[in-house]
Amino acid sequence: MGLFVAGLSHKNAPVALREQIAVEEDKLRELLRDLQGDAVLPEVVVLSTCNRVEVYGVADAPGEARTAAFRQLCRHRGLDLAAVEPLLYTHLDGDAVRHAFRVAASLDSMMIGEPQILGQVKDAFALAQACETVGPQLHTLFSQAFSVAKRVRSETEIARHAVSVSFAAVEMAKKIFAGLAGRAVLLVGAGKMSELAAKHLVEHGAFPIYVTNRTWARAQDLARALSGTAVPWDELPTALASVDIVITSTGASQPVVTCAGVARAMHGRRGRPLFFIDIAVPRDVEPGVDGLDGVYRYDIDDLKQVVEANLRERAREAQRAETLVEREVAKYLARQTDVEIIPTIVSLRARLEEIRRGEVQRALARLPDATPETRAAIDALSTAMINKILHAPVTKLRESSRAGASRSWLELVHELFGLGRRS
Amino acid sequence: MHPSLINPAVVGYICAMGLALAYLVQRHELVHRLSVLATLAGWAAHTVALIVRAVELGAPPLASLTDAISVGVWVIVLVELLVEQRSGVRVLRAFVLPVVVVLALKLTAAGRPASLAPVLAGAWIWIHIALAMVGFAAFVFNFAGAIMYLLQERQLKSKRPGAFWYRLPPLETLDRLTFRTLALGFPFLTVGLLLGAIWARTAWGSALTFDPLAFLSLVAWLIYAGTLAGRAAAGWHGRRAAYFAIVGFVALVLTLGAGLFLPGRHGS
Repeated sequence: MGLFVAGLSHKNAPVALREQIAVEEDKLRELLRDLQGDAVLPEVVVLSTCNRVEVYGVADAPGEARTAAFRQLCRHRGLDLAAVEPLLYTHLDGDAVRHAFRVAASLDSMMIGEPQILGQVKDAFALAQACETVGPQLHTLFSQAFSVAKRVRSETEIARHAVSVSFAAVEMAKKIFAGLAGRAVLLVGAGKMSELAAKHLVEHGAFPIYVTNRTWARAQDLARALSGTAVPWDELPTALASVDIVITSTGASQPVVTCAGVARAMHGRRGRPLFFIDIAVPRDVEPGVDGLDGVYRYDIDDLKQVVEANLRERAREAQRAETLVEREVAKYLARQTDVEIIPTIVSLRARLEEIRRGEVQRALARLPDATPETRAAIDALSTAMINKILHAPVTKLRESSRAGASRSWLELVHELFGLGRRS
Repeated sequence: MHPSLINPAVVGYICAMGLALAYLVQRHELVHRLSVLATLAGWAAHTVALIVRAVELGAPPLASLTDAISVGVWVIVLVELLVEQRSGVRVLRAFVLPVVVVLALKLTAAGRPASLAPVLAGAWIWIHIALAMVGFAAFVFNFAGAIMYLLQERQLKSKRPGAFWYRLPPLETLDRLTFRTLALGFPFLTVGLLLGAIWARTAWGSALTFDPLAFLSLVAWLIYAGTLAGRAAAGWHGRRAAYFAIVGFVALVLTLGAGLFLPGRHGS
């Protein structure tokens, strides 16, 4: 029985094909049962997301099982298997384990480190469990994949830094302020992105929220939507002196926040820092405020630059994650190896021990005068012999198993020593 | 200081510093753990060295400047370990340990001090030195906080996140660190200096005879007093406070240097 994974992903298949082959949950239940019913695939999990469709399975003939699975997948969407097959990749045994770990840990994702994939893998596994298509091998594989994904998440910073502009703004705020709880936020003007940034800040504890707009009614609307307070437009200078974070996104052609205005506001702040997130184009905050002590101003390009730096940081962290995954794969395979060969070694040893006991008893029956020393010597001699005999085959089994070719050797040992059929 | 005993401690601190700096660049759990381990080992060796020294002297090892620096370093390392454990700010060691190493290297270089003049023995002197050293330890953290603040501030202003950006705590935390260490170190330094002056008056008859160390420590005290006043009265924060912390620390280091290398009443 061999472990395999076959499928297609954003790496090799165009979205036009991925969207056609993706399967919704109801259909997936049916499919899982059909696949298992064919007896080609005793264990199977199907992962279907917008970026990948993959079949994880355990089968005697992985190639055959793969074709059977994708024929089913194609049939239900009326696709031609011949068009899909050339795009499929297949990983066997150790490579399949590595692939499963990398996918769950979000190392194979389009956006490395994105958090959704782990949930999707968990859902796929839960669905297969509900359909009773998960056996011991896939169960071990997936539980291990989940724990590897968790380790990658906690031990590397692969998912730690923001990769969207609005989250980058929050991240910058957290580098200025020791925690965002109780920080006052002022929204100047309205816009999708500024609203989003404000929401992220609120999720991190920022409070209260003030909203100002040239049009009073719009300020009130937005204030209501964000559970904030509307502030009249001409009170902007006063508001600057009291809030901590200002998000600007007006459509004004001239800056609405000037250097002089900010310098005045800073007087009353006793050194408390002031953070401007300027999402507007043209910009709402004069870039000259950068020269003021304690004032931090990030415009849309600055935030994009932060996002790019974060992406580079993610790539670096991904390298560390890959090393971690590699170690876990090795551990997993070593454990699998033991699971595979230990029953054979145990029965082989038992068989030889049985022969040894019988022969020692017969020999001693013929030596009624043997002293305890003689008896002990015979016992030791025979034990040493079977240990010597066992040494070579056991070593060979270990080696072959580590090389992933234990099957024929195990059969051979069973045949040679008359151990009965392998289960 | 007994060289065979202080050397392992210094080696431990140097290893810890190297690993701490490596951790700043290449974030690897193992590197950090080894750094902590090296610090603990160095500190343990240092503790033994101090105990041996105390037994040798039959008194707290606080009577010569070299001994005092040794105790100061010992306090700094202990406080670093405690602060790091409590606050979880792992990068702090990368900024504190270099100072520790520079001071500790001085310990290995210094020969065994000659026995002290009898005038320099007694509880008053020990308290004078102990307080000054606790104050000094606080200002090492003040200095480290200021350096971290300026690095982080530059990164934030430049808008180009670099390696430090990801490692350093928020500006406000660093500003708070420099303020608290200043508020803690200043009273110790003040009382330490006052005791020294009182002692000088009883021992030599005048509190104000010129001594290079005493003079420079007064300069450092004035700088710190100014910073504290600026913070309290004018709401100085951030960059300005950080610059003053660095200037103050430079004055303190010069103070120690004067004590070690120039003739005077504090000479080792």
